[in-house]
Amino acid sequence: MMMQELLASQPGPVNFLIFFIQAVALLLIVLGFVTYVILAERKVLGFMQSRYGPNRVGGRLGLLQTFADILKLLVKEDTIPDKADKKLFILAPGFAIVPAVMVLAVLPFTEHFHFADIGIGLLYYFGIAGITTLGLLLGGWASNNKYSLLGGARAAAQMVSYEIPLVMSVLGIVLLTGSMNLIDIVEAQEKVWFVFTQPIAFIVFSIAAYAELNRVPFDLPESENELVAGFQTEYGGFRWAMFYLAEYIYAFAMSALAVVLFFGGWQPLFPFLDFIPGAVWFGLKFAILVFGLSWVRATWPRVRPDHLMEFAWKVLLPVALANIFLTAIAKELIQLF
Amino acid sequence: MTGEFIAFMVLALVAIMGGVLLLNFKNIIHSVVALVFTFLSLAGIYVLLSAEFVAVVQVLVYAGSITIILLFGIMMTKHKATHTEPKSTWKKILALLGVLGFAAAFYLGIYNLDFGAEQVPLHANNTEQIGIALYSKYIIPFELTSVVLLVALIGAIVLARKDDNKEADDK
Repeated sequence: MMMQELLASQPGPVNFLIFFIQAVALLLIVLGFVTYVILAERKVLGFMQSRYGPNRVGGRLGLLQTFADILKLLVKEDTIPDKADKKLFILAPGFAIVPAVMVLAVLPFTEHFHFADIGIGLLYYFGIAGITTLGLLLGGWASNNKYSLLGGARAAAQMVSYEIPLVMSVLGIVLLTGSMNLIDIVEAQEKVWFVFTQPIAFIVFSIAAYAELNRVPFDLPESENELVAGFQTEYGGFRWAMFYLAEYIYAFAMSALAVVLFFGGWQPLFPFLDFIPGAVWFGLKFAILVFGLSWVRATWPRVRPDHLMEFAWKVLLPVALANIFLTAIAKELIQLF
Repeated sequence: MTGEFIAFMVLALVAIMGGVLLLNFKNIIHSVVALVFTFLSLAGIYVLLSAEFVAVVQVLVYAGSITIILLFGIMMTKHKATHTEPKSTWKKILALLGVLGFAAAFYLGIYNLDFGAEQVPLHANNTEQIGIALYSKYIIPFELTSVVLLVALIGAIVLARKDDNKEADDK
């Protein structure tokens, strides 16, 4: 429990330095993840659509393809439309990416590797993640372009609507655990994972999570065949890369959150398998969920805009509320006998 | 000078600057962005006061949702941002008196505020303590608030519906 001791120790220069180095390490891990998950996604999509995917840069597997893309983005000319609101145009990508990095602070990756042990970890995640919506809406508005504005408005409406079932779905877990601390939630799953005791919550959570991530089948804010590129139409080069990076950091964070909430975090599948370290278990479950993101992208058509809102408010929200109700009754009944 | 003091000064400065900029920006969207910074620094001040639950709810409700609703309201409605200075001197003097009176009342109110000297470990199980207080000691105000919110919600729907019918009649 080295990290735990550090969290409880007196703040000072040494303490700061250790945390700083670890935070930089985590950032590099996340950036490495984003670099290779983009490649993996393109390869999986290629495989599912019977084509090769990237195979030119860095050998037959295209291992350096994303690095080449990043280099291209970095050296691109920085263009700001003449009629755009320049200050907001520059500020909006920051609004999108800063919260994306901030939510990583509360995720417990293993027993020893976590940066915060706060009682409201779960709520912190959703609270901070909500600010990104503002970045997308402002980016769309500041571009002064009808496609951008439509995309930004869609992004805001969709993300605000789906945030509600997302938060409601995990309340069942909070009821069962009696805590919003993500570390406590993982420890409560030592015997049974919450995906088995809260199956309805898991279904609602995954649908709402795909919508929060703006991914297929909910990629309406950037649906390329009706809105050019949605809120990011006028963005290019490094500013566009910030939006893209934020999207993939959220994919990382949301998959990690799903592992923590529903798949027992670093806990092994069976107790006798606990000789395998927690980090490996976490990584395995995490990789399966990330694969799911690409799988869904290759196989699902896009939702229609008018169905989108109705689905959130008339289907997901009542189901999530019913799940809270059922969980509370079940908990009382179990305590009775 | 402790770290807490420095953090408070920075957060308070950002909060006040956000408020001042909110009033001074000509562009109303810029005003809302200034307001976001005020909301966020208030959340920071709540963290300094060991009220972590209130801080996160502040970010979730105000910095996230309320701001989005404000922006939607501004973007979806047609309006010309016209700025008119109040013309008569009397109005200005009355406004100044109002501001001074408000400031004096608030200053006295905060200066004489006494919470009692009992030390409560606020940061331990913050959410649980709030929940217990809300659902036992303050249950009636809590329920009343939810009824008021429900009334507001239904009222908004009724108002929006009325407009719809009128438009349909016009067609």
